Amino acid sequence: MGWEALLPVPDRGVLRAAALHGLAWLLVANLIGDWLAVLLLFPKAGEWLGPLSYGRWMPVHMNLQLYGWTALPLVAWLLKLYRADESWTAEWGRAALWLWSLALGLGGVSWLAGGASGKLFLDWTGYPRVLFPAAIVFLWCVVALAYLRGWWSERPDAGLVKAAKAVGLLLLLPVPVLLYLAPDTHIYPAVNPSTGGPTGASQLESSLIVVVMLLVLPYGLVKAKACKNIWAWVCWGTVAAEGLLCASLGRGDASHHEPAQWMALATMVVWVVLIPQYWRGFEWPAYAWPWLKASVAWWALLVVLGSWLFLPGVLDRLKFTDGLVSHSLLAMAGFATSLLLLVLVVLLEEDGERLDSAWSFWLWNGAALAYILLFLAAGWIEGGNPAFTMTPGPLRNAFYWIRLAQGLAMTAASGNWLVRLARVPKRAPVEIAEMEDVAEGSLA
Amino acid sequence: MANERVDVTRIRSGRSAWSPANGWPGVVLLAATYVYFLIFAQFGFLKRLGELGLEDAQLKPVMGAMAVGGILMSLGAPRARFWTCPKCRVQTGLLGCAVMAAMTLLTLTPMLAMAVAAGIGLSLGLLTVTLVANLPHWIGTRRPLMKIALGTGLGYAACNVPWLFDAGARGIAWVALGVCLLATAVANRAPMLPVEDAALETGTVPFGLGLGWFTALVWLDSAAFFIIQNSPELKAGTWQGDMHLWRTGALHLVGTLTAGLLLARGRVRTCLGLAFGFLAGSCWLLGTPGGIAGAALLYPVGVSLYSVALVACPAYLIMSRGWDERGRRAGLLYAVAGWTGSALGIGMGQNLHAVPMAFVAAAAVLFVVPWVWRLSPGGRRQAIAVALVCAVAWGLQRQLPQAAPASAETTVEAGRRVYIAEGCIHCHSQYVRPGTRDVAMWGPVRPLAEVKAEEPPLIGNRRQGPDLSQVGSRRSVLWLRLHTMDPRAVSARSIMPGYGYLWARGDGRGEELVAYLASLTSAEAGEHYAAVTAAWKPSDEDFDVTRRDEDGERLFTEHCGTCHLAGGQARGMGRSMAGGGFKRMPPNLFGDAWFRIAPGLTESQERVAVGRVVKYGLPGTDMPGLEYLPDGEVEAIADWVTRKRSETLAGRAAASR
Repeated sequence: MGWEALLPVPDRGVLRAAALHGLAWLLVANLIGDWLAVLLLFPKAGEWLGPLSYGRWMPVHMNLQLYGWTALPLVAWLLKLYRADESWTAEWGRAALWLWSLALGLGGVSWLAGGASGKLFLDWTGYPRVLFPAAIVFLWCVVALAYLRGWWSERPDAGLVKAAKAVGLLLLLPVPVLLYLAPDTHIYPAVNPSTGGPTGASQLESSLIVVVMLLVLPYGLVKAKACKNIWAWVCWGTVAAEGLLCASLGRGDASHHEPAQWMALATMVVWVVLIPQYWRGFEWPAYAWPWLKASVAWWALLVVLGSWLFLPGVLDRLKFTDGLVSHSLLAMAGFATSLLLLVLVVLLEEDGERLDSAWSFWLWNGAALAYILLFLAAGWIEGGNPAFTMTPGPLRNAFYWIRLAQGLAMTAASGNWLVRLARVPKRAPVEIAEMEDVAEGSLA
Repeated sequence: MANERVDVTRIRSGRSAWSPANGWPGVVLLAATYVYFLIFAQFGFLKRLGELGLEDAQLKPVMGAMAVGGILMSLGAPRARFWTCPKCRVQTGLLGCAVMAAMTLLTLTPMLAMAVAAGIGLSLGLLTVTLVANLPHWIGTRRPLMKIALGTGLGYAACNVPWLFDAGARGIAWVALGVCLLATAVANRAPMLPVEDAALETGTVPFGLGLGWFTALVWLDSAAFFIIQNSPELKAGTWQGDMHLWRTGALHLVGTLTAGLLLARGRVRTCLGLAFGFLAGSCWLLGTPGGIAGAALLYPVGVSLYSVALVACPAYLIMSRGWDERGRRAGLLYAVAGWTGSALGIGMGQNLHAVPMAFVAAAAVLFVVPWVWRLSPGGRRQAIAVALVCAVAWGLQRQLPQAAPASAETTVEAGRRVYIAEGCIHCHSQYVRPGTRDVAMWGPVRPLAEVKAEEPPLIGNRRQGPDLSQVGSRRSVLWLRLHTMDPRAVSARSIMPGYGYLWARGDGRGEELVAYLASLTSAEAGEHYAAVTAAWKPSDEDFDVTRRDEDGERLFTEHCGTCHLAGGQARGMGRSMAGGGFKRMPPNLFGDAWFRIAPGLTESQERVAVGRVVKYGLPGTDMPGLEYLPDGEVEAIADWVTRKRSETLAGRAAASR
């Protein structure tokens, strides 16, 4: 064996595995969502499954969307960013993915068995509450080892990049501990006394975390354009200013009726313009453009609608209604899914083109948009008349039938992505490396 | 080789849908054998012994005799060098089964019962081993594994048809007798298909490994079956009631067809691994509070997956050299994995009343180690690392502080736990928003500090139903009980799931949940509701006078009809409830004096007073309010009730004159 064997060889298989795991969880979560939609139309159908009632399936649906679909493409991005998709860490990355899915699967079983904490998205109890953070620690170790290997690699990162990656690793280190602690029943975040929901300050805080992710995300995916991007300075400056604004709002229980709260959240609207400008500074491949445009469009709608929803009078009417369900769907099915597919399409390169099925693209986005508009309308009606939901009549049922059809359409689209990607034949890492050499040679 | 040969061209030329060449005789024989084994040998025969008054101590030797008969014939038949015709043996086995089923119609003494049991074991042993070892002659080589799946699935599904499952012991015996005679006729009529040895050389499973896997699976299956069968609570949650049976039958069909698909794609290990996962999961859930729901879903699928393989492996998939070895191996497999594994599983259920997780872990080794062994060296290292992380997490979880034991909880605390476990927060809030219409509907407002002091606060996120923060002030215990058992019994258009299973015998969760809901009240609630009720006035703008008759009657029937008949009398519901019926029997709305509405009011005053009762109920009674209904609809009900009462009283007065 020559010394060449010791050189890191990119293994796109691990990224593909992450995409497959994520898409599989998306499909499962969507199927559960369809079942929930059926139950809202035919409550007696639930008796067929006995104790596995609506309330038991809901956390499974929500948590699989979050910890399965939303998280795993970002894990793929992390592996790529830290070059953990190369050589031996790629194999261990694959093991980390299986461990992640195993922990999530056991979590699903425990939620169906009634193992809930009473805190939304934090239903980790019993064994999965320890195993899932352990899976994250395992992944962190793989990424950290890849980072350390990079110090002695043939192609070491620049000093600034090394430092930034070290900071990233340090920021990720407490995540498993926090995830273990967060389901604790003694801990609860600040509450908006007018609604019982989150305050404007905490919404701004979490929105800024998303903004930071959107600013960092292109670095693991594509190259920055050679020319100076003034928008980068504007964006990071705005993040800093909004961070200060967020800190000044404090973390107390504040109402959305306080002007400072809703006005602070309304400052997010600047990001409708800033994010696309910032992303223009990167070289996005042509095949990623549909998902790039969709991400930007959903982002704009999410920010504008989110800011509007938090206004006094609006939130008072829509809180606890389908109007907020519509907003959640906009965030998860609209924005997050488009963004994650953008990530996968770029990461998987020619394999990612499999995710560019036109009919799935339009089916998913069309159904999601129709769902959002329909349920915003339903929420508005419900806000004025709670009986609209509690004693369902023909109009409410018509809305819910359409929702079921939209859910089925989205399930079909997600199933199509999974099947198309699963059909891509596996390639050995060396073969991929060779292909890349050929590609580089032809470009040269 | 088969002793009987037929003209191949005759079979091929006559290949219609019902041609034996399509393998349907094999499907019928398999389905019949499964029906006999499952519904009669495992179920109906025991029922009959129970009817005959045989005690537990007498049952053991009887069932032991069946096992001994089964083992002896499974081992002996393939080795016997006389009377080797498979067709004759299968028919003899079937006729033996039929005779034994007929014998159970007689009054059996313990000794006779033992003899019949031994006869069932011997007949089944002969039938199963001969049928499976020679199955290719009946089922053919065209998609045989899917046909095995179909036969097995039909057998299981038939046993779960409610009228058969719930039939008496004699009824089951008659059905078993009929099925055996029908199968005998099929075996007699159907020609044996010519199958070359070469066509069967597809075996991929080493025999020893297969023997270990099937023994573990049958052991787990039998233990879980015995535990469920002997626990009324578990039985009620699995195969009691028509809906459970249809569901179980459907799951068996899905499981068997899935097994067929997997086996046809060469995924024997995946099929058996999945079967183990499902059975291990159901054994775990059986020992978990509230886990029976999951177990009832996993168990039939797990059983179906391996049952198809238990036929397919000796017939087609286990490595063997020729028909003789195939027969001997099938016999050994059924003697060890089938009869002995089953006896050991039942013994475990009888003595331990649970499947120890240590046993499940030991059985898992049988499946995991060969799988890991087949991985690449790198994959093997990773699998071991994943297992290590799982083990460390397990150890860590046991070291970490656990929640207070359930025995230390009050009933209300336990009920809160049930509320969380059932995911009630996904449809119900517990937060009255100050300054909004919530206050009038669900109030009074609770101080935020009080809400946040709860661990955790159960504010909720989405209201598919009412806010529950003061539900104890708005609904009586009787109403809460009825509503959790069967929501549509008290709220006709409720979309809430029924929680009848929380009220199953021996399950205290229903009462705990109701105790918790009843505790959701506050000192200010009474005063608050009195003030809100007094302040309520209908708005004439909301009330469509032109539709008063139509709307009023419809809304009354829909919302009030669960307790009040159209004639005004109260329904008798709640009288037979545990814990008593109505606190106070409601009056006839159109004839008797009303509670708390003074006589002598004008019609419009009376309408407002009735409207207040409709909207907010009657505190201290079981009468709930319809707080969430729009005022116009409340007024329509009040108007209709008031006018109907006036008409009735006027009619009565006229009659008395």
